[in-house]
Amino acid sequence: MSRFSRRDFLITTAGAALASGMAGPALAGLETPKRGGTLIGTWGGFEPQSLFVPPGGGSSPYFTSTKVLERLIRLTVDLKFEPVLAVDIKPSADFKSYTIKLREGVTWHDGNAFTADDVVFNAMQYWKPISAGVSLDALEGAEAADPLTVVLKFKAPVPEFFLKSVLAGKSGLVIPKHIYAGSNIITNPINNAPIGTGPFKVKEWVRGSHVEYLRNEKYWNPGLPYLDRLVIRWWRDPASRAAAFEAGQLDIGTFNPIPMPDIARLTSGGKFIAETKGYSNSAWVTTIEFNQRREIFKKREVRQALMQAIDRQFIADTVFFGRARPSIGAVASSNSIFFTKDVQDYPFDVKKAEKILDAAGFPVKGGSRFKLSLVSAGWFEENIKIGQYVKQAFEDLDITVDLAVPDRATSLKRIYSDYDYDVAISNNSGSVELIPSTTQYYTTDGIVKGAAFRNATGYSNPKLDEIVAKMTVETDEPKRVALAKDFDRLATIEAPLLPMVDLEPVTIVRSDVRNHSATADFMGESWAELWLDR
Amino acid sequence: MLNLAIDFARRFARNRAALIGLLLVIVVVGVALAAPWLFPRNPLRIVGRPEIWPFVNSRYPLGTDSLGRDIAAMIAYGARTTLLIGLCASLTATLIGITIGATAAYFGGWIDEMLMRFTELFQTIPNLIFVLTIVSILGQKIEYVTVAVGIVTWTPIARLTRAEFMALRDREFVQACRAMGMGNLRIMLGEILPNALPPVIVLSSLVIAGAVLFESAVSFLGLGDPNVSSWGRLIGDGRTLIRTSWYICAVPGLAIMITVLALNLVGDGLNDALNPKLRDR
Amino acid sequence: MNRIVLRRLAQVIPLVLAVIVLNFVLIHLAPGSLFDVMTAEQQISDPAMLDQLRHTYGVDQPTWVQLAKYIWSVMRLDLGFSYRQNAPVLNVIMDQLPATVILMLAATSVALLVGVTAGVLASVRVNTIWDNLISLAAVFFFAAPSFWLGIMMTVLFAVKLGWFPVGGIRTIGAGNGPFADALDVMHHLVLPATALGLFYAATYARVMRASMLEVFRLDFVRTARAKGLSPARVVLAHVMRNALLPIVTLLGLQLGTILGGSVVIEAVFSWPGIGSLLFDSVMSRNFPMVLGVLVLGSLLVAVANATVDLLYLRLDPRIRAR
Repeated sequence: MSRFSRRDFLITTAGAALASGMAGPALAGLETPKRGGTLIGTWGGFEPQSLFVPPGGGSSPYFTSTKVLERLIRLTVDLKFEPVLAVDIKPSADFKSYTIKLREGVTWHDGNAFTADDVVFNAMQYWKPISAGVSLDALEGAEAADPLTVVLKFKAPVPEFFLKSVLAGKSGLVIPKHIYAGSNIITNPINNAPIGTGPFKVKEWVRGSHVEYLRNEKYWNPGLPYLDRLVIRWWRDPASRAAAFEAGQLDIGTFNPIPMPDIARLTSGGKFIAETKGYSNSAWVTTIEFNQRREIFKKREVRQALMQAIDRQFIADTVFFGRARPSIGAVASSNSIFFTKDVQDYPFDVKKAEKILDAAGFPVKGGSRFKLSLVSAGWFEENIKIGQYVKQAFEDLDITVDLAVPDRATSLKRIYSDYDYDVAISNNSGSVELIPSTTQYYTTDGIVKGAAFRNATGYSNPKLDEIVAKMTVETDEPKRVALAKDFDRLATIEAPLLPMVDLEPVTIVRSDVRNHSATADFMGESWAELWLDR
Repeated sequence: MLNLAIDFARRFARNRAALIGLLLVIVVVGVALAAPWLFPRNPLRIVGRPEIWPFVNSRYPLGTDSLGRDIAAMIAYGARTTLLIGLCASLTATLIGITIGATAAYFGGWIDEMLMRFTELFQTIPNLIFVLTIVSILGQKIEYVTVAVGIVTWTPIARLTRAEFMALRDREFVQACRAMGMGNLRIMLGEILPNALPPVIVLSSLVIAGAVLFESAVSFLGLGDPNVSSWGRLIGDGRTLIRTSWYICAVPGLAIMITVLALNLVGDGLNDALNPKLRDR
Repeated sequence: MNRIVLRRLAQVIPLVLAVIVLNFVLIHLAPGSLFDVMTAEQQISDPAMLDQLRHTYGVDQPTWVQLAKYIWSVMRLDLGFSYRQNAPVLNVIMDQLPATVILMLAATSVALLVGVTAGVLASVRVNTIWDNLISLAAVFFFAAPSFWLGIMMTVLFAVKLGWFPVGGIRTIGAGNGPFADALDVMHHLVLPATALGLFYAATYARVMRASMLEVFRLDFVRTARAKGLSPARVVLAHVMRNALLPIVTLLGLQLGTILGGSVVIEAVFSWPGIGSLLFDSVMSRNFPMVLGVLVLGSLLVAVANATVDLLYLRLDPRIRAR
């Protein structure tokens, strides 16, 4: 039996369990949860521009909005789908339509009932045009069969794992129709104090400081949430966050909240834990990208040689203090469904890289093989160090390097709008499902001038496009996995861009906080099950 | 002229603190000049194990940073960058400041009014934000950081120059020059400026110190030039390690402090030596 | 007196206009636009959606039209809408302005109190160990980068000693009435205000010392002493009052820069003020927000300058006669 049918089984049984009142998260501990208390959380970044940014808006609004807005289903830490607002999602025999059964007795924070109309509105007015974009290109229509049943209709067959990933992913938040209908969803003022079905209600957002949530007393899952109050607070400086932990003013911080060297110091006393689970559905990698518009990089050997010139273990050990791994192939190693080791390997070997470059027609002339501009995107502090290291690594091959580490806006502009770089160092976070979050970096239709975080190298290969096109409509999961591995192998040999290191983000959490990090994207989870053992 | 210089030196030397400051400045300049001989390799090269503490390994007397780069080498080369930024920014600021201040005071009237409003405009915009904006427009090159710092620090110089020129422009010797039919430019540069210069020079020496601090703040916020070694960048890089390897911040922090202190002492000494009226009063 | 205030206020209008034009042009010259940043953050690639957003944000119009529209709306006292925050600019600023004003006032008070006291002490005990110590401290605080000082103070006073909170402006959910809240804010204020204030205190101490020494030499001080007034009275009532003038000038000049100087301190202490907002907005090219802050900032500086002028009148009656 493949893992996929097992998962189908799980989703139905879990749904039944929840429906019969045996509620509880998959990884609930053996202890009896305690009710009450205030949890203060943060993450390794800044305050969001708005508590909810309908088209996405990055990790920060995603963190704040997901405590209020829920999705139909969610992905657990062992990559199984669990019901949230939907109790069951079933494809038709031809995979061109899906029937969604919704949970009964769910109400919005303002008291209105959550119904099939809401989901129809979301599918056609929010997900397809605004949040999911190309992922839902095939979606043709949605209709409410009855108040708790929605049918989604597609132009082409849609793989089940793919659709469920979209619904459980960043773009699948369910917003209230009665508030958004007829307004511009993106600029609706309610986005600064969103109303949802989630376990927490927004009480107050003090800009520049924190947002305070109160327990939703009418949450559909009786007994949850365990917390009375949740506060998300922002510090701009990682060292200040470490100090806040130590001073007892912070309980949990996701996505590398504190300087990495401080992790050992903080966790040694047993008062804090460093947790690496809960990030598999947003696998962050640092990539190196070779601009195909430059003559030098049209030669595949040159790209491969430069890959071999970089000691990625050094980057993982020194820049990330061991909180990263050298990447293998184009798919993150934390992706237990699609990852394969069976791809071209690029071990650190300067001599070999030199030989390849000599053979490719780039010998050392006048002390230099060629000159290139290296742009390291300045949104992560580590990229400064990686840029400096990669510059040195290329200089060891007698390549002249001009390094720039521009600020966020300039980096976006140079890499994704103007394509003004020879080699770029960037980042992306891929979901477990590879389409489109991973594939769009390699496919021809991923080239969209001015749209960030996709194919900026200009690489185009009909063979690769074809594999991805097949994957898009392949509904047999084992066959789909095989296609994904073909894609990975081809992308890795071609190397227009490749991940250099897979980051291993850490959640720092006080040891008396329980039931955290149980889903594949913990930061974007509702946190209803968290409780405090105090 | 020689007599004047000797007189000046004697007055400067009377201030012991200023002498110490001068000595420190000379040491910093010496280190900056000698950097290529002391550390022949590129200071940004990774040479050893990361985070070696100072005075532990004799090859890296001041230790290594989080990537394993030699802090001593970065400090020595950083002295070049820092001094260059300080000097050039101060020069830029002084040039702009004198031009605007002198023009405003000499011509007076609506020109004065316009230029003073212009000066006020620059005083209104928060300095650091202005520097950041300029750096993000021009790019993160050390030259542009310098220019940006120069552009935001000229206003006090302009005001001071204006005040000095105001006091001097109606003096007899200036009127005599006018009567002789001297051109405006010649009067301004040849006659008034030399007399107005001493307090301006003192202020300029303080602007150098300010520029050094500005650069460190820009680097702290992550907008420095990644291709050169500078003290500010070293602090910026080291600030995530402030709790574990605090020396990475402390060493360049001390270097900045000593330099700024020395420049201040020299500035005081210049003040005493150039404005004897003040002292003897 | 009214004439001075009126004159000051009349100067504000061209100043604000110039601030707008200068910064509008600067932000538009910078590579990357608000639109790039927003669409990148939102991961939007659909060309139709991009066009729709361009229209929503008003960036499909020529730059000069955007500028003209902006000036027109400022003239109607409307600072515009920030699509990034999805809220009117004025609302966002007003949310964060009080924190910065409190911090500025507290830091200025610390600077004045410490600076003037130190300066007076140094001048009274001129050329003694006190004088040298104060000079040394002044140079130390002037030369130490403020973020470094801030982090070090946090480590010592908040983490090791636990005397003060590590950051923020209020204990969350403390709501125990206005008096307790005010105490709570003051408790949070101590470290950031000190870290920011000490830098300015260093300057004030030096200026105060020099200015005191100068006034000591003036004739009227000799007269006062000859009249048999107590040394303390001479220092406090006669010398200090006159020596304060340069400090007032300095204060007026620095009010504008303190707004920018707080960027770094606000970052270290996660103070919910305008500095971080301004920094973020520059970084995301969010020009309505940057311009909004700067326009309000220039108004603030203008008001501050008018206040300084009035203070001058009080301190130095000769100006009134002129």
